[in-house]
Amino acid sequence: MKNLCLLLALLLLAGGALPGMAQDMMEYPSDLTECEIDLTGETLNIFHFGDLSGPYAFITQPLVSAITDAVSYWNSHGGVCGAELAQIYEDTGGSREAAQSAYDRFTSQYPDDLDLLVLYSSDDGELLREQLAEDEIVSFISAGSIASLYGEDGNTPGWLYASNPLYINQFGSFCQFVAASPETFPDPVIGFVTWPNAFGRAGTEPAAREYCASLGVNVLEEPQFFLPTDTDILTQVQNAIDGGANIIYTNSLATGPALIAGTLVDLGMEEDIKLAGVNWVMDTTVGILGQRVLKSNGLPSVDGMFGSMPFLWWTELANPAVQFVYQQFTLNQRGPAEQNIAYLVTWGAVDSIIETTVRTVNRVGSLDAVTGADIRETVESMDYAVLGGLYQYRFEEGMRDGTMNRMAVLKYANMDMSGAATGPDDALLIDNDAGGKLFAPIVVPLTDFMEVPQLRG
Amino acid sequence: MTEYINRNRRQLTWLLYAIAAVALTLFVGDQLAGLKAARIVQTLISGVLVGGVYGLVALGIVVINKASGVFNFAHGWMMVVGGMIFWSFFTVSEISLAGAGLLSAATMFMIMTTVSYRSLLEQRNLAIAGGGAILLTALMTVGGIEWQWLRALTGTFVGAILTGLAVERFTIRPLIGQPLFTAVLMTLAVAEVLHGVTQIAWGTVELNLPIFVDPRTNSRFKPIRLEGLREALDGLAIIRVELVIAFILAIVAFVGFILFFRYTSVGLAMRATSEDQQLAQSVGLRVRVILAITWAVAAFLASIAGVLQGGAVGLSLNISFVALRVFPAVLLGGLESITGALVGGIIIGIVEQFGTLINSSEQVGTNLAPYVVLMLVLVIRPDGLFGEKRIERI
Repeated sequence: MKNLCLLLALLLLAGGALPGMAQDMMEYPSDLTECEIDLTGETLNIFHFGDLSGPYAFITQPLVSAITDAVSYWNSHGGVCGAELAQIYEDTGGSREAAQSAYDRFTSQYPDDLDLLVLYSSDDGELLREQLAEDEIVSFISAGSIASLYGEDGNTPGWLYASNPLYINQFGSFCQFVAASPETFPDPVIGFVTWPNAFGRAGTEPAAREYCASLGVNVLEEPQFFLPTDTDILTQVQNAIDGGANIIYTNSLATGPALIAGTLVDLGMEEDIKLAGVNWVMDTTVGILGQRVLKSNGLPSVDGMFGSMPFLWWTELANPAVQFVYQQFTLNQRGPAEQNIAYLVTWGAVDSIIETTVRTVNRVGSLDAVTGADIRETVESMDYAVLGGLYQYRFEEGMRDGTMNRMAVLKYANMDMSGAATGPDDALLIDNDAGGKLFAPIVVPLTDFMEVPQLRG
Repeated sequence: MTEYINRNRRQLTWLLYAIAAVALTLFVGDQLAGLKAARIVQTLISGVLVGGVYGLVALGIVVINKASGVFNFAHGWMMVVGGMIFWSFFTVSEISLAGAGLLSAATMFMIMTTVSYRSLLEQRNLAIAGGGAILLTALMTVGGIEWQWLRALTGTFVGAILTGLAVERFTIRPLIGQPLFTAVLMTLAVAEVLHGVTQIAWGTVELNLPIFVDPRTNSRFKPIRLEGLREALDGLAIIRVELVIAFILAIVAFVGFILFFRYTSVGLAMRATSEDQQLAQSVGLRVRVILAITWAVAAFLASIAGVLQGGAVGLSLNISFVALRVFPAVLLGGLESITGALVGGIIIGIVEQFGTLINSSEQVGTNLAPYVVLMLVLVIRPDGLFGEKRIERI
């Protein structure tokens, strides 16, 4: 695995945008608001809880690592306006009961400090939506369901703010992409094969089907559900194919997309059926887990999988935000499995929290005086390039999620690292410790950033 | 009317169940009628093979229950620990001599002190413990990638024995003679401890366990494609090799355990202990030793299941939830029945797959069908399909 880390580093260096980066410490890339109030002697806590040991662990563990590294960075650079940065978090193991307990504990233990809370999952967002509003606590989340961000009617913005577009909107932009690419997707029919939780079900709503149908892209009415513990999902995949699907779309993580891709290969249908998914399917872990099964062309089963990429990726090194996060990743000696979406965007989340807090403190006069309502007022008035451009942070006019997305494809690097491999012969293969070979996953953007359709009703 | 109902309540209840069963059969038949034969055959194959894995997991739970009467809620986490230990030995080309030595020494210490800590004072026992530790350490540290299977299997075996013995020694043994419910609750606590230990030792990020890999292509074994039956079935059915391997291992384990419980003195002693621990102790059976062996065996079974599950879908903390899915299989087959574990596992596997075939969008296969079948069977046979009917003298 050390070799893989080295390889990823090589890949990044191959981008040609890191001259001497390893030696020279980069400046923090954000254009943060100047502190008007000195907070020396105070502590700014980042509160977060969620599933650190269940199905979301592969995302959330790097999330914790990123916050840890960011806290360490800020404290070694004098803190935030002099205040020490700290994190307070809890593992809920994916259980709603544990999430409720954590929330109750946080709100009773830190009644004055807890004005801003980071959540990980749509399920927790839905669970706590009303309570956050009642307690006037702002919550940042990477992406949420309609119910968590806008309520059951889809039109009641709450106190949760997502940096990524709603999953249903991501699906809508995928339909746009499909409709605009008839050579790749002739007579498109999409079938959902997905997890059965709030995250997995996002995009299966009638509004999404109607929108896609208006673009000439049919979506099967019946989604096929599977669990993270399933060893065999032939039945679900075949159900979708028998229903007429020639594109399978999934809202699942890690083993989920890899299992679907492997099943398509088992059925000998990897060329006939395209595979796509939400932004999390573009993750490094999927690229590694997808190597269990090779396609008939010798490349891993998830090679060629499409997905949303509403932020920059590790290989886009022309951007100072990516350069900076990569430098911190290297300095903190993080492992290859952590070089994923969560680590990258969580640095952005911490940056957003700091910027929001500084602006609010400047307005209110002290950290103690800040309330959730003050934070909310700040959040809704901001138009901010997170970490200098990792993604945009804008929640005006009742918006609670990101509005920009682009499509990308998961590929594997070729031998000279100049692009994607076309087969095992020109693929970059490295030895792993167990005596096997690993392909090096890369994400290739296919479109520019564009507005997502608003499908929440 | 009321009097008639009261007088014939039992018969009417049966009649209602019979109507429900017929309606269910007609519904399922109607749903399957329009499907190609290949889909039905494929679903049946998947159900049987997945059911075999369930059976293997169920077997570990049944073995504990059979010997001690305890329903082990920690079994899923014992699977995770076993799988993680295997991964540690399988994916690393060199194992630390000190680490392997410590693991072997701890295991031999636990084995040799099963009856009493004073056993180690005897020179003969000390020599056996030392020799065993050296042998196990050597097997676990043998160099080279070509020995990874030997290292991993030895490491998993040693780790499983240590886990099983430690759980028994420090949590179950102090409860001998106490109400069984206390021990059952203890297994819930053990589950949480193992959860924490796993998280600290291996983290929570998904691990790749490439055991079902064809060394020529470095990818998972290709499935067996039933091309010869394509015309007859009006479609292609496939058989996944890793599930076949798991199924065969499950069958081997079942046959072994049936023979073990029926024909060996230890097996018979285990059965006697499960009836009444105090009574067994009073007739000279070494309850401590029997319980220790049981937990070690169950931990090893859990490890095998963890490795197979981890090899099929990746190794993560999620695989502990497989044990929860297996509970209906255990209850269906009968809590004390080895055969019941296999049959229950296969029935639940088939029911899940057909439920999914009929309606995956409402999760009928995983959330409803197994429990409906379980309910129906328990109404007819409260002790499960192969469970022992308990008659107590009052």
